[in-house]
Amino acid sequence: MNQPLLEAINLSRTYKLAKGSAGKGKAFRHALVEMNLSINTGDRIGIVGESGSGKTTLVRLLLGLDTPTSGSVEFKGQTLISGKMPWLRKDVQIVFQDPRSSLDPRMKISEIIREPLVCLGIDEDHDARIDEVLDSVGLERAMRDRYPHELSGGQRQRVAIARALAPRPGVLIADEPVSALDVLVRDQILELIAQLTDKLGLTLILVSHDLSVIARLCNRVIVMKDGAVVESGNTREVFDRPAHEFTRALIGAIPRLPESL
Amino acid sequence: MKKAMKGNISLITGSVMVAITFSLLILSFIWTPHDPLEVTPDDSFAGISSKHFLGADKLGRDILSQIIVGSRVTLLVAALAVTIAMTLGVSAGITIAVASRKLQAPMVYAVNIALAFPAALLAIILAAVYGASTLTAVSAIGLATAAAVAQVTRRTAYGILASDYVLAAHACGASTWRIIRKHVMPNLRASLLIQASAVVSVSVLAESSLSYLGLGTPPPAPSWGRMLAGSQQYIFVNPLLAIWPGIAIVIVVLGFNLVGDGVREVFDPTLRRSDS
Amino acid sequence: MSLLEVNNLTIAFGDKKVVDSISFTLEKGSRIGLIGESGSGKSMTSLAIMGLLPDTATVSGSITFEGQELIGLSDREHSHLRGNRMGMVFQEPLTALNPLMRIGKQIAGPLMIHKGASLKDALGSALELCTKVGLPDPDRVLRAYPHQLSGGQRQRIGLAIALACEPALLIADEPTTALDVTVQREVLNLINTLVDQEGSSLVFVTHDLPVVSIMTENIAVMQLGQIVENATVASLFQAPKHEYSQRLINAARVAEDAFSGTGGIK
Ligand SMILES: Nc1ncnc2c1ncn2[C@@H]1O[C@H](COP(=O)(O)OP(=O)(O)OP(=O)(O)O)[C@@H](O)[C@H]1O
Ligand SMILES: Nc1ncnc2c1ncn2[C@@H]1O[C@H](COP(=O)(O)OP(=O)(O)OP(=O)(O)O)[C@@H](O)[C@H]1O
Ligand SMILES: [Mg+2]
Ligand SMILES: [Mg+2]
Repeated sequence: MNQPLLEAINLSRTYKLAKGSAGKGKAFRHALVEMNLSINTGDRIGIVGESGSGKTTLVRLLLGLDTPTSGSVEFKGQTLISGKMPWLRKDVQIVFQDPRSSLDPRMKISEIIREPLVCLGIDEDHDARIDEVLDSVGLERAMRDRYPHELSGGQRQRVAIARALAPRPGVLIADEPVSALDVLVRDQILELIAQLTDKLGLTLILVSHDLSVIARLCNRVIVMKDGAVVESGNTREVFDRPAHEFTRALIGAIPRLPESL
Repeated sequence: MKKAMKGNISLITGSVMVAITFSLLILSFIWTPHDPLEVTPDDSFAGISSKHFLGADKLGRDILSQIIVGSRVTLLVAALAVTIAMTLGVSAGITIAVASRKLQAPMVYAVNIALAFPAALLAIILAAVYGASTLTAVSAIGLATAAAVAQVTRRTAYGILASDYVLAAHACGASTWRIIRKHVMPNLRASLLIQASAVVSVSVLAESSLSYLGLGTPPPAPSWGRMLAGSQQYIFVNPLLAIWPGIAIVIVVLGFNLVGDGVREVFDPTLRRSDS
Repeated sequence: MSLLEVNNLTIAFGDKKVVDSISFTLEKGSRIGLIGESGSGKSMTSLAIMGLLPDTATVSGSITFEGQELIGLSDREHSHLRGNRMGMVFQEPLTALNPLMRIGKQIAGPLMIHKGASLKDALGSALELCTKVGLPDPDRVLRAYPHQLSGGQRQRIGLAIALACEPALLIADEPTTALDVTVQREVLNLINTLVDQEGSSLVFVTHDLPVVSIMTENIAVMQLGQIVENATVASLFQAPKHEYSQRLINAARVAEDAFSGTGGIK
């Protein structure tokens, strides 16, 4: 039987709000409600949705970095238990939404990218690999010895991408990975990811507010609102013939470039 | 720019003050103007003179010589107390921070109890068992401040462990031990430096009070704390007696504090001006 | 007199110039967009105006704001302007927020410092601001800590803080990267209205060319620390002169066409 690679089963996450941090009596925040999702090897899934709809929450759960309130996540048929699955790490890497806070302020860029190589025991010349990924995300090798606060926002974002790609993961989960990049660099990164998916069969889970990025990289898309999926399907079909009102609103609100002559 | 300069000034001033103390320590082994314990009744309460640069106490002992030799006790106290407090406090603080939820509560409770336990009481117990000495005083001070260090360390470590970069390290497959070593410790460093310099100040002062109560360095070995305490009853007869050891204590305490501050400001790669 | 005049501004780290002798002016009530390569010095320029450059940076040239020279201004004098006459939305929202302070107090802070508002009044205004920037459930948000909010929610808090004192100059460094396009539209409209109402000026830093074309009249294109082209929106998008602007705009058009090609937008 064909078992999915990564599967979310009735996945819910409710944040308990500390006393006094909620309005009248409301002490819970349902960030993710009864989510079902199954991802096969080689899938390229795009996640779009309202700000605050639970995308980041979902992504953390899929990685076992957080514990679901109910439901479960299975990776190759095994249930993830938060914090206890080194076998998962070798296969799945993540790019966090806020690059700056996901980089240790006291580590040089080279040490940051080296971390997964060391922790996962990657049997390869680490320095060569670090140079290679820095090149591929368009950062100068001289950046190796800088600290995160000595880079620009977009450069930090690329460091986060480089760290995730360094151990050659089979699954890449990326939360807004190109939001701080200019169009040309963004194209370079998207091209890099496209190549990895095409040539090496990388499985991709991509969260983005930029529908054109999703359209370019993903074959499937899910649209989220208020912690639930409102629409999903083939990227082309969803964007061509959006069924849900929210999807239509999204597509309608995309700003356009001024006409050229 | 401005901040780096400010850090430099504290660092330089602090280093000079600490260096003065250490010079006294070295000097104490080479030369003192008089034997610090030599009693000369004729010189009782002598003022500043060419014989006694800083005067003499009731028994006519030379103050300068006592100050020079007293630096030994002070620096020994500082070094031992910092070692005890930081080793115990930091390891306890980090252990609690990374422990599972269930274990955390009782450990935090234990630290709180230790925190409430007065150093003086501990010193009395130790002195009763082993006889009062510099060592019993220092152990009491070290143990008592360790609880405070553990408390601060635990809180700071919590913050670090909750950060996105630790989450990212987990996602890379880093072990708990690696996270402590590579992420928690480096990010704790600034806070540890401040705590260490605070421990120095507290311990030097605490040793003075314990000696005064007879729970520290026993007479006649000179200690700044006891000199200060001993001068109290003659404060109106001869205020100089209190001033000299007072100045000496201020120099060490302030010196270590400034060094702690300066090191943090100069070497912290991320210290940026915060916006209002 | 212009509201903001930047003249030959140069910012260097050691002997590496990250902003290289740039100049531009901004009249009261007008808007300029800063676009360009990642790492070209857009954020450094913004921080220089705010007086928030890292201590390791050396600055030369001149920045005058309301007739006052900002370079060489003491930190204290600058802090009277910051958050008051000039507000900034920072590129990475999380780092600009205090992790240990509830959101409400962080928005109320500048109002209390600069406008002498009482805590209660300031919190009232904070609630209003949260509603304005489109945050659902503003009551909860005010009492939350930064880590309890989503990326886009934090970004809107950053905007609320910048807008709190109705600044004469608003610097927005990528203020909508974490927002979905519907919320983005609301937030841009809000910035438009407020800027128009108060007659404020706007420096808008972004990588999103469609957005910058809507938000500003003039655009400065930066590359390697220099402004390589400074033109009106219309002339830049119709006939970009500099080679880098041409490449940038072309790439944006290609991406847009490719997306429309999937049928996404008619
Ligand atoms: N630790 C927390 N405590 C309480 N509420 C939380 C916490 N983390 C997230 N939330 C809430 O859960 C909801 C979902 O957050 P999440 O970060 O998953 O959104 P998102 O889809 O990633 O949004 P964005 O596009 O803005 O990043 C939000 O309303 C947020 O305020
Ligand atoms: N503290 C520092 N020390 C040395 N170089 C620095 C430091 N901070 C920033 N830089 C460099 O300055 C340059 C300009 O940075 P800036 O943040 O202004 O770029 P940016 O135009 O905002 O880019 P992005 O769009 O990626 O945010 C970058 O190349 C960066 O590497
Ligand atoms: Mg998010
Ligand atoms: Mg920037």
